[in-house]
Amino acid sequence: MRYPWQASDWQRLAANFERLPNAWLLSGPAGIGKREFAQEVARSLLCEAPQADHHACGQCQACHWFAAGNHPDLRVLTPHGDDEEAEDGKEAKAPKRKLPVIKIDGVRNVIEFAHLSAHRGGRRVVIVEPAEALNPAAANALLKVLEEPPAEVVFLLVSDAPQRLLPTIKSRCRQFPLSLPSAAQALAWVNEQGVEDAEAELAFHGGMPLFEHDAAEAALRKQFVSGLTECSMGSVLSLADAVDKQKVALELPLRWLGKWLHDLAALRLGGAVRYFPAQQAAMQRLLPRLNIHALMDCQRELTALAPYGQHTLVTRLQLEALLMNYLKAFAGKPT
Amino acid sequence: MTYQVLARKWRPKRFADLVGQEHVVRALSNALKESRLHHAYLLTGTRGVGKTTIARILAKSLNCETGTTAEPCGVCQACTQIDAGRFVDLLEIDAASNTGIDNIREVLENAQYTPTMGRFKVYIIDEVHMLSKSAFNAMLKTLEEPPAHVKFILATTDPQKVPVTVLSRCLQFSLRNMTPQQVAGHLAHVLDTEGVSFEAPALALLGRAAAGSMRDALSLLDQAIAYGVGDVREDGVRAMLGAVDQRYLFALLEALADADGARLMQEVEALVARGIGFDSALAELAMLLHQLALAQTVPDAIAADEPERDALFALALRLGAEDVQLYYQIALHGRRDLALAPDEHAGFSMTMLRMLAFHPAQGGAEVAPRAAAQNRPAPGAPQPAANLAPAAAAPSPARALLANIGGKSAVTPPAAAEPLPAAETEPEPAPAAALAVAPPAADTAPLPPADLAPWHEAPVAPSAAATAPMLAVSEEVDAADTVDDEMVELPAAGDADGELAEYALLQAEADATPAEPAVIAFDGDWSALIGQLGAKMGAARMLAQNAALKLWDGEVFHLAVPEAFRNMAGRDFQDKLRTVLGEHLGRAVQISVSIETLDVETPAMRDARFKREQLAEARLIMQNDKVVQQLVQEMGATLLAETIQPVQE
Repeated sequence: MRYPWQASDWQRLAANFERLPNAWLLSGPAGIGKREFAQEVARSLLCEAPQADHHACGQCQACHWFAAGNHPDLRVLTPHGDDEEAEDGKEAKAPKRKLPVIKIDGVRNVIEFAHLSAHRGGRRVVIVEPAEALNPAAANALLKVLEEPPAEVVFLLVSDAPQRLLPTIKSRCRQFPLSLPSAAQALAWVNEQGVEDAEAELAFHGGMPLFEHDAAEAALRKQFVSGLTECSMGSVLSLADAVDKQKVALELPLRWLGKWLHDLAALRLGGAVRYFPAQQAAMQRLLPRLNIHALMDCQRELTALAPYGQHTLVTRLQLEALLMNYLKAFAGKPT
Repeated sequence: MTYQVLARKWRPKRFADLVGQEHVVRALSNALKESRLHHAYLLTGTRGVGKTTIARILAKSLNCETGTTAEPCGVCQACTQIDAGRFVDLLEIDAASNTGIDNIREVLENAQYTPTMGRFKVYIIDEVHMLSKSAFNAMLKTLEEPPAHVKFILATTDPQKVPVTVLSRCLQFSLRNMTPQQVAGHLAHVLDTEGVSFEAPALALLGRAAAGSMRDALSLLDQAIAYGVGDVREDGVRAMLGAVDQRYLFALLEALADADGARLMQEVEALVARGIGFDSALAELAMLLHQLALAQTVPDAIAADEPERDALFALALRLGAEDVQLYYQIALHGRRDLALAPDEHAGFSMTMLRMLAFHPAQGGAEVAPRAAAQNRPAPGAPQPAANLAPAAAAPSPARALLANIGGKSAVTPPAAAEPLPAAETEPEPAPAAALAVAPPAADTAPLPPADLAPWHEAPVAPSAAATAPMLAVSEEVDAADTVDDEMVELPAAGDADGELAEYALLQAEADATPAEPAVIAFDGDWSALIGQLGAKMGAARMLAQNAALKLWDGEVFHLAVPEAFRNMAGRDFQDKLRTVLGEHLGRAVQISVSIETLDVETPAMRDARFKREQLAEARLIMQNDKVVQQLVQEMGATLLAETIQPVQE
C-alpha cells in the first residue's frame, strides 16, 4: 500500500531500480508510512512480472504470496519477531523504556537466509524495521552481510532516527529520506479515517497523519489540557487524580505536558503554537503571569522523568510533583 | 549482472590503488619485501577507510604465486580466487556474528594444519571488537605463537574494546581518516572512469560530508548519481545533503542574536520543510557555535578558505562570547534530550526556545534579582572574613571559577574589566573603563584588594550584601560600586538552579580566558598574572610559579629563581613563558632569568604559605568550636588536629 503523498518518492525510487544498491535506508519522522512504503518496495522487487514503472503486477504467484504474507524470499526483521522476548539483559538501564530490540539471533537467521539460494530464483529481500531497534550485537553482526551480500539480495532498512544507527551501518546503506505529507494531504487522510476533531488531532500529532486514534485518550487529553489552562492548585491535583484513575502510563501525560510547555514557550517567545492551536486564546491569557525561566525548569524536570514513562512509578505522585513545578512558572507577580 | 554499488566496485585490489594510508602501505610493503613479517596485524580506523581492503590485499601479497611481494600480480590463481572470495586458505571471519568461544575454537583448531594450496593460511577476523571475552582469551595462545604458516589480520573500528593482551600480541596500524581533498580527488577519478559528468564543487561538498570515510563518500556519490539522474551537479548535491548547508544555521543564529522569536520559529519550520535531521542540525549548530567561539577568541584559527568566513565573523561580532558558550551547552544538552522529547520537532524547537529564553534581552533583568535574592540566605558559619580578605590569593583559574560560582562572577579584575556587550541591559562603558584602570592604581598593595580569597568564598558563600562592605575596603570606591552594580546585573547565581549556575559558570569561563588578548596592561602583580595565565603555560608554569619578579620595565621581565629550582630555568620553559606573556600583553616581551637567593616570595611559596595559614585557620576554628570543646570536656574526646583539612569546595 502506498499513501497519496508518496507518489513522488516512488518515482524517485523507481528511477533507481537500474542502479539497485545492496541496502537502502528509508528514513523520515514517525507516522508518515515508511513501513508501508518499504513493503511496497519489497513487493515490486519480488514481483515476477513488474509493470513498466516497476509497480508490482498483483497477478503473479509472487504477488499472491506476498499478499498472503508468506513469500519465501522475504524476511522481515522486527522486534516483535520472537514473542517470548524476555527483558533484555543488555539494557543495563533497566527503567529505560522497554524498547523492543532486535537481537542477534534474528540477524543470524537473516544471514543464513541470505546465503541460501532463492525459492523463486529471483531476488531476496530483507526488511529491517525499525533499524534503530537493532541492539549493538545485532547491528554489528549485520555489518558484513550488509556490505557484501550475496547477489540478488536487497536490504531495506527503515528508521525514524537514522542518527541512532551505528555509523558503520549508515555508511553501508544508500539513504533515502521519504518526503512528508503536506498539511492538506495529511488532513484529507485523517478525515478519511473518520477521526473526529481531525484538525486538532492532526496538530497534536505534529502534522504526521498516521497515528493510532483513541477516542478515550483524546477525551482525557482534552480534560488534561483544560486543567492546565486553569492553572490552580485545585485543578492540578484533580488532574493528577483523573489521570491516575484512567490507569494510563506516565508516558502519555508527560508527552501532553511536554507539548503544552513547548507551545507556551513558543507562544511567549515566538508568537506561534504548534500542537494546541485550539487553545491559543487560553494560553494567551496565561502569558502575563508566565515566568519563562521557571517554565524551562519545569521542562527540564519533565525531560528527566521522560525515560521512566513506562516504569511502574506511582503515576499520581510523579505527576503531582511535576504539575506543582508547572504552577511555579506562574507563581510570580504579573509582569 | 546486477548493479554493484560503487563502494564495492571500487574496492582497491592493489596497494597502489589505495587512497591515503601511505604510512601503513609503506610499512607493509617494506616488511613484505624484506620478509620481516609479523604473524598478527591489527588494523584500526573509522568506518570506510580501508581496513578490510588492506587485509585482503595483504592476504594476496602473502599468497601470490609470484612470491611474497608488495605487488601481487592479480592474475594468478591465488589472486583471482582471493578477489572472488573463494580462496581456501583465506578465512575471512565475521567476528560480529560469530562472537562466541565455540566459533573461535572451531577456527583455531584448523590452524595447525598446513595450507592447502597457498603459502600461508590467512585469518582475517573482521569486526573483532565484538568477540566475547572468553573468545578473545581463547585466541591468546595461538595469536602469540601461531604455526609458521599462519597469519592473523584483525580489523576493527573500535580498538578500545579489544583486550590489551590481544593488542600487545599484534602489530597495530591505525588508519587515518581521509581528507576531503583526497576524497574529492578519488571521486573525480571514479566518475571519470564511470563516464558520469560532474561539477567539481559538488565533489568537494561530498568530500566534506563523508567526514573522512571513503565508503561514506562512495555511498553518497551513488545517492547523488541517483538523485541527479546520472549527473552530479552542485545544486543537486547541496539539496541532497541538506544538513551540511550552513546557511540555515546562520539564519537561526541571526534570529537568536536579534532575539526575534517569530523569525526563529519560522527558521525552524524551514528546517523541517527541507527534511533536515534535527539531530544533525543540532550537531552542526554546536559545530558552528564552536567556530564562532574560535572566531571570537582565536580568529587566526579559522582557515582563510572557510567558505562562510565572512558570515562567521559578522555573527561573532553580534553574539556575546558567553552567550555563544551558553548556546553551545544548550545545543549539546538538547541533542542528548532529543530522544526524550515528545517528538523530535518539539525537542529541537524547545532547544532553540531555551536559547532564546536565556538570551540577555529576555532574561538578564529578570534573572538578576532572583539570583541575588537566592544568594542571600546562604548557609555557613560566619567566619572571620575581614582578617583574611586582605591576604587574597592568586586566583588560579580553577579557583577563580569556583569562587565565581560561589556568587561573584564580576569580582576578579579581568572579569570586570571585560566589556560584556550582550550581558548588560544598559551598557556602562565609562564605569567599566574606570574599573579597568583600578588595578594599576592598587599597584603598591601586594594584591588587588577587590580580589577575595577563593577558599574563603567558595565554601562559605557570603551574601552579596556582605560582599559590598568588603569591596569598599579597597580604596577605589567608585570601582567597587561598579563591581557591585555589575554583580546585580549578572545572573551569577550560587544556588542550585542549574540553568543559572550554568550561565554563571559559562561567564566565569568566558572571563577566565579574556577574549581580547591585546587590551590588558600588566600592573606589576606577577602572581595574579601567573594565576590568570597559568593554564596556557603548560609545564612552563613551574618556572613561573617558582620565580619572583624583580623588575618590570615595560619590556623585559627580570625574574629571579632560587637555586633549588635551577633546573626549571631551562631555555624551552623561558621561551614558552615569553610566548604566553607576549600573547597576553599583545606585544613582544623579553625575559631574563637569574639564579639567586630570594628575599621576595615566589607565587609557589606564597601558595604554600596560604595553604599553611588556611590550615591553621581551620584548626583554630575547630578548636574554638563550642560543640567540639564540649565534646572534649564532657566526653573525653580528642581532636586529631592533623586530620583537619580546609574545605576547598
